[in-house]
Amino acid sequence: MSWTAIALKNLWRRPVRSVLTLAGVAVAVAMLFNLLEFQRGYERGLRGELGDLGAHIMIVPRGCPYEAATIVLHGGKWPRYMEQSWYDIVKQTDGIEATTAIIMDAIIRDGGRENIIYMGIDDDYPKLRASWSYAGGGWFPADDSAILGSSVAARMGLEVGDTMTIEDGSRVAATPVKIGGVLKRTSTQDDGLVFLPRETLQRIFNLQGKLVVILVKLHDVTKTDEVASALRQASADADAGMNVFPLSELLNTLTALLSSTKVFVLAIVVVALVIGGVGVLTTILMAVFERTREIGMMKAMGAGRLDVFRLVWLETLMSTFAGGLLGVLVALLSGRGVVAVMRHVLPHTPADFTIGFTAETLWVCIGVSVALGMLAGTYPAWRAASISPIEAIRGGSA
Amino acid sequence: MNDGEYVIQARDLVKTYTVGKRRVEALRGIDVSLAPGEFAVLLGPSGAGKTTTLNLVGCLDLPTSGDLTVAGHPISGNGARPTEAALDLLRRQHIGFIFADFNLLLTLTAMENVQVPLIWRDATAPGRARQLLERVGLAHRLTHRPDELSGGEMQRVAVARALINQPDLLLADEPTANLDTRTRDEILELLAELSTEGVAVLLATHDHELADRADTVLRIEDGVIADD
Ligand SMILES: Nc1ncnc2c1ncn2[C@@H]1O[C@H](COP(=O)(O)OP(=O)(O)OP(=O)(O)O)[C@@H](O)[C@H]1O
Ligand SMILES: [Mg+2]
Repeated sequence: MSWTAIALKNLWRRPVRSVLTLAGVAVAVAMLFNLLEFQRGYERGLRGELGDLGAHIMIVPRGCPYEAATIVLHGGKWPRYMEQSWYDIVKQTDGIEATTAIIMDAIIRDGGRENIIYMGIDDDYPKLRASWSYAGGGWFPADDSAILGSSVAARMGLEVGDTMTIEDGSRVAATPVKIGGVLKRTSTQDDGLVFLPRETLQRIFNLQGKLVVILVKLHDVTKTDEVASALRQASADADAGMNVFPLSELLNTLTALLSSTKVFVLAIVVVALVIGGVGVLTTILMAVFERTREIGMMKAMGAGRLDVFRLVWLETLMSTFAGGLLGVLVALLSGRGVVAVMRHVLPHTPADFTIGFTAETLWVCIGVSVALGMLAGTYPAWRAASISPIEAIRGGSA
Repeated sequence: MNDGEYVIQARDLVKTYTVGKRRVEALRGIDVSLAPGEFAVLLGPSGAGKTTTLNLVGCLDLPTSGDLTVAGHPISGNGARPTEAALDLLRRQHIGFIFADFNLLLTLTAMENVQVPLIWRDATAPGRARQLLERVGLAHRLTHRPDELSGGEMQRVAVARALINQPDLLLADEPTANLDTRTRDEILELLAELSTEGVAVLLATHDHELADRADTVLRIEDGVIADD
């Protein structure tokens, strides 16, 4: 007979009660696990997404930069435009390796069910896109031609050499364009875009001289702040309304946005842990009261305070540890669901965003479970250790 | 336990409980001495102070005054002030207990129950446990749990458990109160046999019939032991 065997048998005496207690801990730990892994996954996804953009600074028209950022990252209808002349101002600024000016528009049909986003680019665009390569064809062979992202091509059933017609009622007159290239899958928003030469898009959509975003890639990322302020100065000098936005800042802003949510969720997790801990405490305390005679008998047989304390503490630790493991398991099984919910709740979620599994999070969760057991077990263990054998054996029949 | 020939030596033991403002004199100066292998019965009516006496000589409680030495260790008197840990150790090494309601752990088998007093030393002794269960006549009940045993069998398991640490002293408080007369006599016989093997047995009871098998009978009434 070992300590652990005795502790296990004690827990097993009331399986339903033990399992319910354990479930309380499991729920709290599952929440904690998801919270930590969510944070990781979100930042990883966001970083990857911004990395895919290949740019360090984004220039958008004045307005809410976060809204703008979201639209750039996910596509959508653009609220404001900027002047093409600003592109020349940007190009003349020092420290820039590459820059590209982009115009976007979308044609929405069936009340948003069919949604084609057009992006007008110049030949600087691929320089910023490390992931660009062609599954067929290549760069625009003519003005009225298009390059398709992989998923658009698949959805519309188009291949290189086919012709598609762009039209949108009275706003956009029917214009046929030839498919000049189809991209390989990039796992970025590019997969869902139809690319046109910038001037062509401006002409078709009646947006001559307009841009929605200028992307800037730097020679030296550590000089981001200097280049950004140089750009702001240039914009002020030319009386242009540029909103110069380093993407590292965007990352910070979005993660800050997340961390306010996180604090809230963390508060819930803490409450859940406290509830779980109190559940464990009361269960073990009840078990100690029920076993008063038995514990008294153990003391009569020579068990010291410390021995009894150890036994009850071990029981508590075993239940919270098991609860913690169960919680991690639940978290792993529920991860997809949490991601789906978060996509609805958060203003922006990266496309490539999952709740994963890292050893660090596992250790944190196990550590928290064990610490919870130590805390919750102390009082019942102390009560058990303080049982007087005389009174325990005298009081009532077992 | 080499010095002194007695397992228990008690002189003028007094135990007073205070309940609120009332003082209850449970023991009013009793003398007990018990030699190795002696089988003594502490006989007295309810409330006489039997359990109190066993608690004191069993080192579960300390006397209010008087001299007490158990298994050669001074417990009370002559400036003795044993710590709680010292008393725990003394009980573990020298004293076995049995009670009216057997106090076995319900989740454990007979073999496991007998070995419970070893847990605190992180030890097991299945060989010795089996031997003891055979000794008390339970060779065929080794893996039974308490709810699969009769009252007499449970008390036999409790006796085996009390013997696992090879005690010098066996304290039995009304060990046969929950048994029928035949089983009672069997348990009594077992305790008497054990005493002939060297263990000092002190059995507290109100049942006169148990006194017949004893080497010594101590009649207690109102916290005082009457002279025979
Ligand atoms: N913890 C206590 N507090 C107050 N009084 C006590 C306490 N323990 C025992 N007494 C009193 O001391 C006296 C002796 O009690 P004790 O339990 O020793 O009697 P007993 O001979 O074992 O009786 P029984 O045969 O009923 O078990 C009784 O009057 C009892 O009420
Ligand atoms: Mg009694």
